[in-house]
Amino acid sequence: MLEKIKQWIEVRIGLEELVNRHLRSYRTPKGANVFNTLGFVALVAFIVQVITGIMLLLYYVPHPDHAFQSVQTITNEIPYGWLFRLIHNIGSNIIIGVIIIHLIHVFLRVSYKKPREITWISGCLMFFLMLLTSITGQLLPWHQTGFWQTTVTSTIPAFLPIIGEGISSYMRGGEFVTGVTLSRYFSFHVVILPVLITALIGLHIMLIRRQGISTSPVVEPQKPSEQADTFKRESHVEGQPCFPHFSLKRLFMVMLYFSIIFFIMTFMPNLFLPPESNMPANPLMTPETIRPAWYFLAPYQLIKIIPNDLLGISVLAIFTIFFTFWPFFDAKEAERDIRKRLFMANTAVLILVVWVVLTIWGMYS
Amino acid sequence: MGCIDNLGDVLMMRHITAHLIFVVLLLAANIAAGGYRETFEREFMLSPWSIAKGETSACIQCHTSANMGPEMHKITREWKQSWHAKNNISCHDCHGGAPEDASVSMMHQRGFKGSPKDNEVPEFCGTCHIAILDNYLKSGHGKTFRDTADGPSCVTCHGSHNIQQASMDIINEQLCSQCHTYERAKEMKQALFIVENKLSNIGENLDRLKLLGINVKDEEQSFFRTHAEYRALFHSIDVDMVRTKSSDYTKRLEVIEGAIDDSYTKLAYRRNFSAYLFLLFLGLGIVVFLLSKSYENC
Repeated sequence: MLEKIKQWIEVRIGLEELVNRHLRSYRTPKGANVFNTLGFVALVAFIVQVITGIMLLLYYVPHPDHAFQSVQTITNEIPYGWLFRLIHNIGSNIIIGVIIIHLIHVFLRVSYKKPREITWISGCLMFFLMLLTSITGQLLPWHQTGFWQTTVTSTIPAFLPIIGEGISSYMRGGEFVTGVTLSRYFSFHVVILPVLITALIGLHIMLIRRQGISTSPVVEPQKPSEQADTFKRESHVEGQPCFPHFSLKRLFMVMLYFSIIFFIMTFMPNLFLPPESNMPANPLMTPETIRPAWYFLAPYQLIKIIPNDLLGISVLAIFTIFFTFWPFFDAKEAERDIRKRLFMANTAVLILVVWVVLTIWGMYS
Repeated sequence: MGCIDNLGDVLMMRHITAHLIFVVLLLAANIAAGGYRETFEREFMLSPWSIAKGETSACIQCHTSANMGPEMHKITREWKQSWHAKNNISCHDCHGGAPEDASVSMMHQRGFKGSPKDNEVPEFCGTCHIAILDNYLKSGHGKTFRDTADGPSCVTCHGSHNIQQASMDIINEQLCSQCHTYERAKEMKQALFIVENKLSNIGENLDRLKLLGINVKDEEQSFFRTHAEYRALFHSIDVDMVRTKSSDYTKRLEVIEGAIDDSYTKLAYRRNFSAYLFLLFLGLGIVVFLLSKSYENC
């Protein structure tokens, strides 16, 4: 019976040929490790967010009078609604963590160099869009935390001269955070941003499939002279097939991703839901501390400690531009092995340390 | 530059320096253009909006201004610490008036009542606390107050601006023995003990469950009703009646306690279910890891 079903599918879509071409013949470079799977884990995490988001969307009401209650209903009345809400909530934080580690790994391996500049830029854009998705998602439950976080985050762009006020006003749909802001954020969170991210994921994956996964400069050193001026796909003939070797590594990391989600859900279910996130938004009552999500603590703290707000936001904007377009700032002829580029390695580590310190500082200030 | 011994780093430094010069020039122009807003926006960002809004209340603005003496400042300071403030009950909710416009805020045409005279206090507070006013007026406290205009009124026990959430602690020797022996008050405190303890426990549990994301709206409403009615009953200062009716209140509170227990059971189920999923994925992860190891040398 099973054979018959397989044959039925085989005749129609050529499954065997599809698997052979895209999984068995597709080879991964020598020395590919679990860090190489983080892009795939981020993709799975995104799909999880979409699925759980759709489940929440079935019952969520994007109106200031009903949003909080509808989330309460999802959490308490709908069968296993709490599970979907918590996976969505915890998953939204894990996905950011996965992307950050993925970006750091790609950067330290100097995998962004020619011909992978577009892959790097599309990855950075996806990261920024994911952060925007988090910002817009925080407001939707219409609780105290989200309301006041939105109040603060939507104020920050106003520090930019000329266009700043416009951006802030556009984000809120007026002077204050109101129902207009909620419907605006809702549209961005559930339609506009996911569509843009999906398009970028398509581009990102297409580029990786066309170019092949980048080699590790440590395992397979590449000389600058080897950088061709014509398109050349890295087929990694000496590497291992994607299936089952690399696919099992990916599957292991996906299991780890789910284990982390359920570990947090079991032992720290309110890790990303502070007490104020279970209180309805009250514009007349400010929580004692308004703290952005952990991944925004470093930029938030930076703006707080730099005495001039404009300077603070400008430093952030410049860093973001440098980071996104780094492949074009980095020297074309330079070595790919970061261990041989002490200045760059030290600068990268210094920035990372400053980032961690600012995050911890922001957490306790 | 001593550590830069690689051609790549030297080239990269040149790129960065050129771009940085451009950025610094751009930044300097931006700071010159936008610096004037700095102070306002820093304060705006760091100062919570509600306080900013509160400061626009004519009452608070005036009572915290330098024109007012320390006694007037004390009023707003005490109110900010009060149970009323925590529940968004502001000056105009009791004293009337128009807090949004300083020029007419204290006009009687805009409903300004000012401070009540001593004999007006029960009616003043009773505008909101209706059931309590009824029982109070029928009680020994109320009758004495009405007959002598010198008996205990609301502010005698609760204070005026620094009003805190009432608890059994309000019945204490220092306060009650100002007018009569503490023995009578002690008897009342004993009559209240069981129900008050339940009220306090239920209140804490409901708050806790709410912060854990459990929807306790119905239980809260039921609790609020029972709580308000019991407190109203207490204001009759009739120990026998409180004793008789306490069992009714105990039964009502037990229903809420049952719902609270159900909520904790629900939380425990969620934790167990998550733990099961955690172990399941951890186990699958270990299996996949071992499988991937077996393929490593193939």
